[in-house]
Amino acid sequence: MKIHNIPADEVLKHFVVPEDGLHQNEAKRRLSEFGLNEIKKVKKKSLLKKLTEQFTHFLAILLWVAAAFCFVSEYLNPGEGMLMLGFAIIGVIVINAIFTFIQEHRAEKALAALKRMLPSFVKVLREGAEKDVPSAEIVPGDIIFISEGDKVPADTRLIQASGLMINNAALTGESEPVPRTAGMFDGEFIESPNIAFAGTTAVSGSGKAVVFATGMSTEFGRIAHLTGAVEAGLSPLQKEIIKVTRIVAAIATLMGVLFFALGHFIGRSFWENFIFAIGIIVANVPEGLLPTVTLSLAMGSQRMAKRKALIKTLTAVETLGSVSVICTDKTGTLTQNKMEVKTIWTASPPQPPLIKGGSVGNSPHDMLMKIAMLCNNARLVNGEFKGDPTEIALLKKAKETAGECKSERVSEIPFDSERKRMTTVNIFDGKHTAFTKGAPEMVLSVCTHALMNGKIISLDDSIKKQISDAHDSMTGKGLRVLAFAYKDMSSKSGVQSTEFEEILKSQLTTHDSKLNLESNLIFTGLIGLEDPPRPEVPEAISKCRDAGIRIIMITGDGSRTAEAIAREIGLVKENPVIVEGHDFLKMTDKELRDVLSKKEVIFSRMSPKHKMRVVSILKGEGERVAVTGDGVNDAPALKKADIGIAMGITGTDVAKEAADMILLDDNFATIVNAIEEGRAVYENIRKFVTYIFSSNIPEIIPYLAYVIFRIPLPLTIIQILAIDLGTDMFPALALGAEKPSPEVMKQPPRNPKERLLNFPTLSRAYLFLGPIEAAAGLFGFFYVLKSGGWQWGETLLSNNILYMQATTACLTAIIISQVGNVFACRSMRESVFTLGFFTNKLIFMGIAFEIILQFFIVYHPWGNKIFGTSPLGINIWLMLIPFAILLLFADELRKWVSRKKQS
Amino acid sequence: MYTRILSAVNEFLNSEVAAKYALHLAKECNAKLYLCFIAGKGHNFNRAEEALKRLFLQAEKMGIEAEIIMETGDPVNKIAEIAKNEKIDIVFAATRREDITRSFYKGTISRSLLLKLPCSVAIVRVAHIGKIFPKRVLVPLRTGAGTNEEKSFFTAKIAKAFGSKVFVFHTSRSTKKFFHGEIHLTHSELEKKMPEDILLFTKKMEKHDVPYEISLASGKTGKAITIEAFTRRHDLIIMGASIRSLLEKAVKGSPVEEVLRETPCDLIIFKPRT
Repeated sequence: MKIHNIPADEVLKHFVVPEDGLHQNEAKRRLSEFGLNEIKKVKKKSLLKKLTEQFTHFLAILLWVAAAFCFVSEYLNPGEGMLMLGFAIIGVIVINAIFTFIQEHRAEKALAALKRMLPSFVKVLREGAEKDVPSAEIVPGDIIFISEGDKVPADTRLIQASGLMINNAALTGESEPVPRTAGMFDGEFIESPNIAFAGTTAVSGSGKAVVFATGMSTEFGRIAHLTGAVEAGLSPLQKEIIKVTRIVAAIATLMGVLFFALGHFIGRSFWENFIFAIGIIVANVPEGLLPTVTLSLAMGSQRMAKRKALIKTLTAVETLGSVSVICTDKTGTLTQNKMEVKTIWTASPPQPPLIKGGSVGNSPHDMLMKIAMLCNNARLVNGEFKGDPTEIALLKKAKETAGECKSERVSEIPFDSERKRMTTVNIFDGKHTAFTKGAPEMVLSVCTHALMNGKIISLDDSIKKQISDAHDSMTGKGLRVLAFAYKDMSSKSGVQSTEFEEILKSQLTTHDSKLNLESNLIFTGLIGLEDPPRPEVPEAISKCRDAGIRIIMITGDGSRTAEAIAREIGLVKENPVIVEGHDFLKMTDKELRDVLSKKEVIFSRMSPKHKMRVVSILKGEGERVAVTGDGVNDAPALKKADIGIAMGITGTDVAKEAADMILLDDNFATIVNAIEEGRAVYENIRKFVTYIFSSNIPEIIPYLAYVIFRIPLPLTIIQILAIDLGTDMFPALALGAEKPSPEVMKQPPRNPKERLLNFPTLSRAYLFLGPIEAAAGLFGFFYVLKSGGWQWGETLLSNNILYMQATTACLTAIIISQVGNVFACRSMRESVFTLGFFTNKLIFMGIAFEIILQFFIVYHPWGNKIFGTSPLGINIWLMLIPFAILLLFADELRKWVSRKKQS
Repeated sequence: MYTRILSAVNEFLNSEVAAKYALHLAKECNAKLYLCFIAGKGHNFNRAEEALKRLFLQAEKMGIEAEIIMETGDPVNKIAEIAKNEKIDIVFAATRREDITRSFYKGTISRSLLLKLPCSVAIVRVAHIGKIFPKRVLVPLRTGAGTNEEKSFFTAKIAKAFGSKVFVFHTSRSTKKFFHGEIHLTHSELEKKMPEDILLFTKKMEKHDVPYEISLASGKTGKAITIEAFTRRHDLIIMGASIRSLLEKAVKGSPVEEVLRETPCDLIIFKPRT
């Protein structure tokens, strides 16, 4: 039993409230017990804490320690350049922290949007007087007054209502206002007509209600809490980056320690070993990875924005690519939300043709059009139809076939979800006539007669069977079917028109009077409406099928209509499992889990509030879920899903704030385009990870050669940083801008267990591309040394010109071979010549930047000073270029073998 | 198991609502109900007396033997004294605002009652007075809690008193590996990790003919409980009173405190006698 189950006169007693409202002291006491009526922010990590975490994770700590050692080393053994290295390492930590923070940061504005939906002041009855009280100070037991235009401040139980209509859009997503009454209700609490929920708005009428829940205990607070507290968790990419950095950090540390020990045993000094260990760590850590990933995601989000998908969190770009299930609304997303009348049926065969501009006669067809036009709230304003899409379609068709029809509306019982019908009383041809339209089962239940061949006959079983067959045939075609009925009232009443209007106006406020008015109606016909699918949707669904992505449709429509539409757009091909809203509520999690494991699933007659449960169960099963939503009550599901997608046109501010992506055109096909981009982004990240990791080998091998063969160090630590944080960055970014290949949507969603840094990627970078680059680097280094007369075993000072030229040659060789590598990394198997050598223009811009930066390092005095380099002759450059060509063609050969093996 | 139930009532509405849980439990267990008011400093005597009268009349109407006790003094010591003298099996008391705004276990009356009373204690936090009869009772169980005979008895009796369904909820800690970070566990993997005593608890529900369902989740316990309660629209939460030390609280956090602060529905913090 809940508060809606008890009669209105017991409500005050239950809440221990006197008839004249709470006394000030009691209100104060209750305020101290229950707290303020406000939406509170869920306690979360502060921005500062989040930022601090970026400086204290495993890799960062490792780098901090390395930097600290550098400073100690500079202090104990000055002049070795360790100070600059220490600062460079700190620079790396700061850059990585800032870029990761930017990736993960997202301003929480959903709660602010929710707060705006609550009023500031409320009219309250306290101590027998009506008072304006700040909404935050409302307490359980307060009696409040609700009148037209008021926002409801808390969850309240109505004890009086007079023609009160409430717009529940904030909670249910239904834009139609619903009537509210004070009577007892036995159904679901959330659907009770005697409750006015916080955040909803009174559209008309007035009422008196007792507050029973305030603040976060209200339904509105529930949405706010879930929106604030629910988190999708780390994105797949974030998890992968954590794994990659930890693996790399562990390898780097292990190598550093091992070679330190080795150096010690072969008799090197402590400082030599120490510099070596630091060098190994710096060479192993891909310093430029995080900035490149972040910038690549930002570029991906820009591309998606051009395709009408606005990305709010950077990591969402890649998460989209891993989506395995899309839970989507139907109306407006899969369909156009533009209703059209497709079929008109009356029980008077043969069906009359639709005559444009014809006059209204007395046939069932004419009467049907008359009801469609008059029992309708859509309007034609300045040549444009305004109102609900279904009503607009009916009005258009009625005007088209029956022309204008003049009538005065006397009264109206609006549509509500309980009765599923609306009725108007009009003066038509001087007579009071009630016109009703609504769900066929709900209209037929109040009909006793039918209009057939111009005659009113009793509604017997054979006519009911005809109607049922016609209804089934229409829903089977995916049409939304409405039934129409009427009754002539003047003839029965025998009262004067004005009196009659008064009676009607007073009567229609009570439940019984509605039942009286909506009774003994004459069934007139059915109209089937279609919300045509968006033309792009079937192809998008077919793409999803090829890409192994399941689509689950969640709609408020009936099962037959939902299934028919799903078949039309290719969403279902076999026998789908269809779950209706009322069955869904009865299902246990286990039953629902079984249903959701099926290939084709449709949820019909569902409310948005149920989406969260569907998403939670799918996520529990390891699926990566995208969900669409537009209403306030969609917000928790949008937050829970891996990718929450809000509608840009029809979406509420709350939904948009809670989402990761906003569809600027509300179109399902845009989601699929975004997924395609997302998959491409992941592939591209793998491409530049290969590129970045390849250059780690020519950074490590010179160090190994230095310690094992006792040669001068071929590449200094600062030169390694010049590659990782300088020359590599722009070509890597250009790889991040590769267009999606046609195969990207032909593969199943990525296995969550599949690693970004898998064996094929790592072995290609470390065992194939990297060694070629290392050979190039060492060749350049020894060529310059030998040309300058260096003898094996001879030691050179760090400021020796020959030594500086040799390290510059090594650095230049690595950079030149990275030019060949950037082309090689454009694909794993496909030949770069098949892809089109010039199709990614950014690659050339990236290479240009890389070369210009290298010119600066080699030839500018500042570059020489910072990086310890010395200018090289053109002959050295020319000698190193073949290494780039060698690398590219060697990889082309590998790709060819790989393709052969695969075929 | 319960033949004498005491409910502490004062001038606050939430104590009256809390007493209704005691009332229904007394009815279900055919126990005698003691309604007591201990007047301390600043108490509104008249309002408390009115509340006692209303509850007494309701008890009479429900056919429960009831007795009113009104005394003055320190509430905790007096209730402890009454509980000892009258051989009370379980005491019901409502939380106060201080329990929510301050750290729950920082010397509040509720903590003192949990620690000092010689019987079982049910501390009720009233969050939603619109849910008169809880139909969906969420029972979060940590490992080892399912074996407690009295807790299952208390849960079953409360569920039977209101004709509710019990939703047993267990949160596992997230699995973390150094090279993998946090590992997502699917429902079937969570089922494998589920402690056996949860099943023991459900068997006891079966024994009492109480319908139940099991829900599993991973993550932070307090947060997971409130999210579950909000998502599934539960009407009442029954939690065990795990009294953690300051150090334990600093390390593991306090799920009871978190739920107490953020519960969307009424919450009973239950401490069995043993």
